[in-house]
Amino acid sequence: MTGTLLKVVAQLVLLLMLAPLVSGLIKTLKARLQMRRGPGLLQPYSDIYKLLRKGMVIPNTASWLFSATPYVVFLATLLAGLMAPMVAADTPIGLFGGVLAVVYLLGLGRFFVALSGLDAGSPFGGLGSSREMTVSALAEPTLMLAVFTVAIGAGSTSLAEIARVAINQQWRFLAPSQVLAFAALFLVLIAETGRIPVDNPATHLELTMIHEAMILEYSGPYLALIEWAASIKQLVLMTLMINVFWPFGLSTAWSLSGVWAGLGWLALKLLILSCTVVLVETANAKMRLFRVPELMAVAFTLGALALISTFLF
Amino acid sequence: MREVLEQLTQEFAGRIAAAPSYPDQLYAAIAIADIPAIAAALRSRHSARLAAVFAEDRVRPEAAFYNYYVFERRGNPCYLILRARIPAEDPRFPSLAPALPSVNWQEREIHDWFGIQAEGHPNPRRVALHDNWPDVHPLRKDFPLHTALPAFEGDQHVYRPTLGEGVFQIPVGPVHAGIIEPGHFNFAVAGEPILYLQLRMFYTHKGTEKLFEQLPAQKGVFLAESVSGDSAFSHATAFCQAVEKASGMDVPSRAGFMRTVLLELERIDNHIADVGAIAMDVGFVIANAHAGRLREMALAINEELTGSRLLRGMACLGGVRRDWSASQIAALRDAIATLEREFRDLVALLKSSDSTRDRLERTGFLHPEKASALGIVGVGGRASGIDLDVRRDHPYAAYRHLSWRVPVYQEGDVLRRMQVRIDEVFESVAMLRAALGDLPGGPHRAPDLVIEPGRCALSAVEGWRGEILYWVRTGPANRIERCKIKDPSMNNWPGLVEAVQGNIIADFPVINKSFNLSYSGTDR
Repeated sequence: MTGTLLKVVAQLVLLLMLAPLVSGLIKTLKARLQMRRGPGLLQPYSDIYKLLRKGMVIPNTASWLFSATPYVVFLATLLAGLMAPMVAADTPIGLFGGVLAVVYLLGLGRFFVALSGLDAGSPFGGLGSSREMTVSALAEPTLMLAVFTVAIGAGSTSLAEIARVAINQQWRFLAPSQVLAFAALFLVLIAETGRIPVDNPATHLELTMIHEAMILEYSGPYLALIEWAASIKQLVLMTLMINVFWPFGLSTAWSLSGVWAGLGWLALKLLILSCTVVLVETANAKMRLFRVPELMAVAFTLGALALISTFLF
Repeated sequence: MREVLEQLTQEFAGRIAAAPSYPDQLYAAIAIADIPAIAAALRSRHSARLAAVFAEDRVRPEAAFYNYYVFERRGNPCYLILRARIPAEDPRFPSLAPALPSVNWQEREIHDWFGIQAEGHPNPRRVALHDNWPDVHPLRKDFPLHTALPAFEGDQHVYRPTLGEGVFQIPVGPVHAGIIEPGHFNFAVAGEPILYLQLRMFYTHKGTEKLFEQLPAQKGVFLAESVSGDSAFSHATAFCQAVEKASGMDVPSRAGFMRTVLLELERIDNHIADVGAIAMDVGFVIANAHAGRLREMALAINEELTGSRLLRGMACLGGVRRDWSASQIAALRDAIATLEREFRDLVALLKSSDSTRDRLERTGFLHPEKASALGIVGVGGRASGIDLDVRRDHPYAAYRHLSWRVPVYQEGDVLRRMQVRIDEVFESVAMLRAALGDLPGGPHRAPDLVIEPGRCALSAVEGWRGEILYWVRTGPANRIERCKIKDPSMNNWPGLVEAVQGNIIADFPVINKSFNLSYSGTDR
């Protein structure tokens, strides 16, 4: 019992502290590629700290949804994070079918953010919510397909079990089904974290925004929670990808030495994945909004092919 | 234009009288009732273009207002300026807007500022003074500059309603995210596609034309520099040229070349910034980073030559304020060589990005016919087949000694508006080289002259956005009696309205950026 509690606390701290750093890392790397110095690596922490101390402006048109959303998103994302193998294959908790719960906890957060985008009553929020739903209508099934591909390979939807199987077959990620699933998941990652070519996280143009448009009316601590949750979601998705597909350095159970090694490997793999994301963001222009569903359709097809090929090879 | 005027005089026998003119500006007096017929004849039979309409208050000396109609014709360096008397006791004129949408705002502006009614105007609502202004006409001479108006609650401006299932309105601005001037954009959208856009400008109206009337001509140069901050030198040059022409001042040929160099430098730095900004708005950030670096190089050379990164404080009546040393000119030569080479790399980077091209091509299409009806000028016009360039059509400064290609495209989309800018940067670099090679010696500034009162003159400059027109009447004691400013943005805003129709709302920012119009220049 205490062991579980300890793992939960350890992973919570890791999620809360590491997520802003990954966002900061991506921002810094992007800035360097553009020959800018960019904000410091630790800027996201300062932003969250600043926002937490600020007052809030809440639209008069907003209902209880508007105030509930930040908590729902934050807690749902954290809970999803606790089910992902981060430093050891053994996840702190594994409820409701493991990976399925992760997908739907993230979905719950998105659902609430989209609702509160409409709730605030600003036209930008409505635009953002409708766009977000258009994108996620394809991103979510793709995520499911990729997850099933992996789950079928492991014979279980428990993430701990999936990770354990992966550790025993280190080179399995080279199998066609895994490569396809990885590619599909990468596109989902881009879409879900609101990155170029799907969304532009750095823009100030309300009319082009997706994720930012939905949360335009948020300020102060609520905004801090939502942005923190967004960076945790990014970390969870990235962790899932790297630990399920590249299980190198992941220990099967929690032990002091194993955790340290796991942390080191996690950092290294996150760095590699962040670099890839940054390269994609820098080398591409943002897609025309109506082309985004095409990209998501490609992701979906990749996911479907991945699932089919698990039975072929 | 002389033969056009002769033919017109015959057609409208006895109702057109030639007035004192310059070789490149013909003035003629007409009756105001004749203007629709004369304008129609000029446009259809003589393929002339109405470049500007403006009014002047002459109530104190002549008990009348005057309306001025500036016509020009392709291939003819002479302007034809028709002047029509409007009696002060019955201030109204027949509107040309039903036949000529390009004068829509200009005629309403005359109504707002002078209280002269545009009869038959299809949309005679206020434009330049918002509804929270009482019924005053601030450009009239009997309206003192420092009038403090009491608070006044006017009617709310009514926008065209947006009706229908799933159709809704998105109001944007006048306060925007980012460092952008104020303007209100009211979109009617059906989901993502834009049905129509309604614009509201003139939030930064500050009575600039009235301010000129209080200033000595020499100080007017500084005011002209701040009409539109990114076109400081173009506006100031247009003002200087108008006063110089009115007062018969000869500008030394070295000054003409130096003005040309500075005008092209202004074009280069703004075009580079715009190319970067267009890339930025489609999320191709790396190109914007490069463009920002290149623009910085251009601004540094501006500072080296003038002491100001935005070319302020260099324009003056009779020439330019400071001469350049041989080392400054050498520095300029080096800078443009580097700039050209690196800009070529930037263009190659943009061309290599398929995702950027995909966003820009066929986005924000402005049909050449619509562009022509709305009188679109400058970059936006040339991308939609409107072959206008004041530098070639009405040469000033040293442009008659230079040759260049005027890029014209028919496709009228964002990609072509960017391409016009790219082409013009290369042309400008070549022009700079040629101008520096031929830079004559001699003085850089004519001695100050006493300006004779009561003289009028028009001046045109091809700013980087397009045609900038200034018209001045000189007054006693070196002062300006009336200064009319026409920034290219004035005509081009309605072009943006046309270009966004049928596009999705997420593409509006990049379409807007591809025109990059001046709010301050429009609002004055």
